Amino acid sequence: MTYNRVVCRLMQFAVETWDPAYGTSNREADERESARPVDVAVEVPPDSWKPIDPSSDVTVPHAVIFVDGVRRIDARIWIAEPDGTSQPGVCATVAAGAVLCTPNSASIEAVIVKRGLYTASAEAEALTNPGGLGTQVSYEVRDVAGDGAEATYLAVHNHMTEVEHELSATLGPQAMVVFDGPLARRDFPHGVGYVKTQHVHYLDPELRPVIGQLDVGQRTPLFRVGGEWATWSWYMRLPGPRSHNLSGIVRLELPALGDSSCAVARADEVTATLPRFASEPHKDARAPQNLYPIAGLERQLRRHLGDAKLLERALRLHARTLRVAS
Amino acid sequence: MTDPGPPIVGQVIGVDDATPLEFWVAVAPDRTLQLDDVVALDRTLPDGRVVHIFGVVSQLRARHEGAVFQSDVFLISEGVLPGQVSEAALVQPTRFEPEILVPPLPGTPVRIATDLERDVALSFDMVAHDRRLPAGLSRADEPVYLDFDFVDGTKGAHINISGISGVATKTSYATFLLYSIFHSAALGAAATNTKALIFNVKGEDLLFLDQHNGMLDEQAALRYKPMGLQPGPFRDVGILAPPRPGDPNATPATGSRKLGVHPFYWTIAEFCQQRLMPFLFADAEDERQQYTIVAQAVTDRLAALEEAGDGAVSFDGRLIRTFNELVSAIEDKLIPVDPDDAPDQRWTGRAVGSGTINAFVRRLSSARRHVEHLVRADVSDGRRSGLDLDAHQVTVVDIHSLHDRAKRFVVGVVLRQAFDAKERSGSALPLQFVVLDELNKYAPRDSSSPIKEILLDVAERGRSLGIILIGAQQTASEVERRVVANSAIRVVGRLDAAEARRDEYGFLPAVARQRATILKPGSMYLAQPRLPVPLLIEFPFPAWATRPAEVGRASGDASPSDEDPFAGLG
Repeated sequence: MTYNRVVCRLMQFAVETWDPAYGTSNREADERESARPVDVAVEVPPDSWKPIDPSSDVTVPHAVIFVDGVRRIDARIWIAEPDGTSQPGVCATVAAGAVLCTPNSASIEAVIVKRGLYTASAEAEALTNPGGLGTQVSYEVRDVAGDGAEATYLAVHNHMTEVEHELSATLGPQAMVVFDGPLARRDFPHGVGYVKTQHVHYLDPELRPVIGQLDVGQRTPLFRVGGEWATWSWYMRLPGPRSHNLSGIVRLELPALGDSSCAVARADEVTATLPRFASEPHKDARAPQNLYPIAGLERQLRRHLGDAKLLERALRLHARTLRVAS
Repeated sequence: MTDPGPPIVGQVIGVDDATPLEFWVAVAPDRTLQLDDVVALDRTLPDGRVVHIFGVVSQLRARHEGAVFQSDVFLISEGVLPGQVSEAALVQPTRFEPEILVPPLPGTPVRIATDLERDVALSFDMVAHDRRLPAGLSRADEPVYLDFDFVDGTKGAHINISGISGVATKTSYATFLLYSIFHSAALGAAATNTKALIFNVKGEDLLFLDQHNGMLDEQAALRYKPMGLQPGPFRDVGILAPPRPGDPNATPATGSRKLGVHPFYWTIAEFCQQRLMPFLFADAEDERQQYTIVAQAVTDRLAALEEAGDGAVSFDGRLIRTFNELVSAIEDKLIPVDPDDAPDQRWTGRAVGSGTINAFVRRLSSARRHVEHLVRADVSDGRRSGLDLDAHQVTVVDIHSLHDRAKRFVVGVVLRQAFDAKERSGSALPLQFVVLDELNKYAPRDSSSPIKEILLDVAERGRSLGIILIGAQQTASEVERRVVANSAIRVVGRLDAAEARRDEYGFLPAVARQRATILKPGSMYLAQPRLPVPLLIEFPFPAWATRPAEVGRASGDASPSDEDPFAGLG
């Protein structure tokens, strides 16, 4: 039997390493150009851009702290207005925590849990001791600027960030504190922003291939992102299976303080530190970008949020009690 | 309150059910609990009453919280993944005070029970001080007691010990208990008259009970102290051994010990008049045979014979002095010289065929060489050497060198005599203790024999008669149920894994059964009616010699090798 050899071009494709439920780490479809001014010539001129190995004499810090927050909506509520209408609101719990990683132990150093009632209604009052769960369970009123789900979501997110700030204020001057997410408004000189999902193009199209050329543990040259909260930033590749050009790519941020040579040294330090914490696909749906300490911290923080069913039931009970009382 | 009380070791956890029968306790990070620790906690009821709950730790577990995969352990120890080690202890309640059987509530603090609380936890407080029988030490070297009411027949009697040979140290524990009985406050003044009968079934281990153990060092001797016992040998010991076969002087047949050993045997007259013949037919196979009818008839005829002085009997005018002569005389009666003559029905029993008679004769003949030195009236000095169980506090009957048939004969006859004596005296006091190993041989589950009948009698009526059986066996599953079931105190040493799964050990919780297969020598599980949970105990190294090499002076004295090596013997 003979086969006719048909020569044709076959489609080349790769399956995203992240679990489909999480989307992709590089949202090409949504990726948009950064509106903020980007200076790509801070470390090397644009025409010399190529992958960089961290300096060989870089010392990895003894202790690294990872900070992360979680949020959960416990109940959606309707607040009766004097005019007979109802205003929507959300009861949510947010928590932030820090993991201290040293060469032989990883321990959760601090956890802060807060609950909020997020609404635009002027009638809102704090819900304390709902359903007899105890006075330590209390939903404080948080104003939502504007209507709509997006505004409420933002309010919850801001609250979580606020709690993260509150928590980072309790941390001592550590060598390296890695925040899950962009630095944004975090005023923390030692902070490192860790961005695992790429929504925005910071680099011009001609420089982007350098990201794809990165080997495990390599980084791009530093670039400066301007604007209100200016940062030094770069991309690096974490260890893990490489199914496509952008597998294992994360973007990092440092506060744009001091001169660029300091920032370069620090970027080397961060780039050399992080591969150790990269997760593996069989253990984490967002490997390798979802770092082990952060994943572990998130699991523990979710426990600190309390049982969702219990809280929901308590809130229902509370609502009924108030109705009956009035 | 100035006294902070005993420190808290943990709290009852809420993710596993807490029940009045068992519950889990999370161990506080800087504290530890180990198996067999005794703990206490309180629960306040809605009506204000406080229930004190006491228990024993029966299992422990430690795990990583925060880990999802097995390999996360590496990430956690490398400081990559946050994880927390958490330990928890399974507690089996031993007592509720007052007895309101409620579960402890999650979050309740748990403390180690010490001193008085430990006594309450283990119900020792319910036993008067003079009724506490020291039964060993806990792993923390605290004394463990038995309620003597459950030993001496007041509320229960008999002790049963199971465990495989060699490592279970059954005999050592039985002798330790006996020592404790005689030397603690439990018996009080009655100790003087109380008697013990010990069958030495294996080796010559028990022939040196009256000798100091030279191997008992000072540290081992100190372990007797918490129990209030003084280490030392048994004080008043009589040792009886079977005569050496073929020796006309009936010198006792012991290897390592010659001095202070007396021979035991029965005269022909005693054999006949006390109806000892059935004890020769005590094999499992005997029961199913017809010839026991013949044996019964012969026993009856022999009982009617007259003693002719010196323990001999007169049999149709013949003077019978040896067992061989007796067997020949019986054969003559059963098998007529002329094959056409019918045998004497008074001797054979009615309607018995010649085959059955011949089977009896063959059986009797085969017993001859095993027991001829035990049943005799030919000893020259004419000394009567039956067993006098009252002569000494402890009487050791050595049967280890005897053939199985002879062992059964001796055990059966001795027990029967002890039982009859007790029955005649009509009083339970003073008590008679009987230590017998290899119960499976004498009271097997699947057959019956005259010895088994006696052991059953002891097990069922001994409590009221004042005969207390300290029985032991490798496997309780092979021993008559009623013998084991009548024992108030059960003790288990190392068990074979298959044996440990048997229903006979239902009193051991699952974890204890598992542990019973790995118990080290000197450790036993002790179950007593007062406590719903068996306790793991250790008993101290014997203060009496258990083999010739151990015979020596009391600890603290000069090493026995400096002295006359035979000084202790005598």
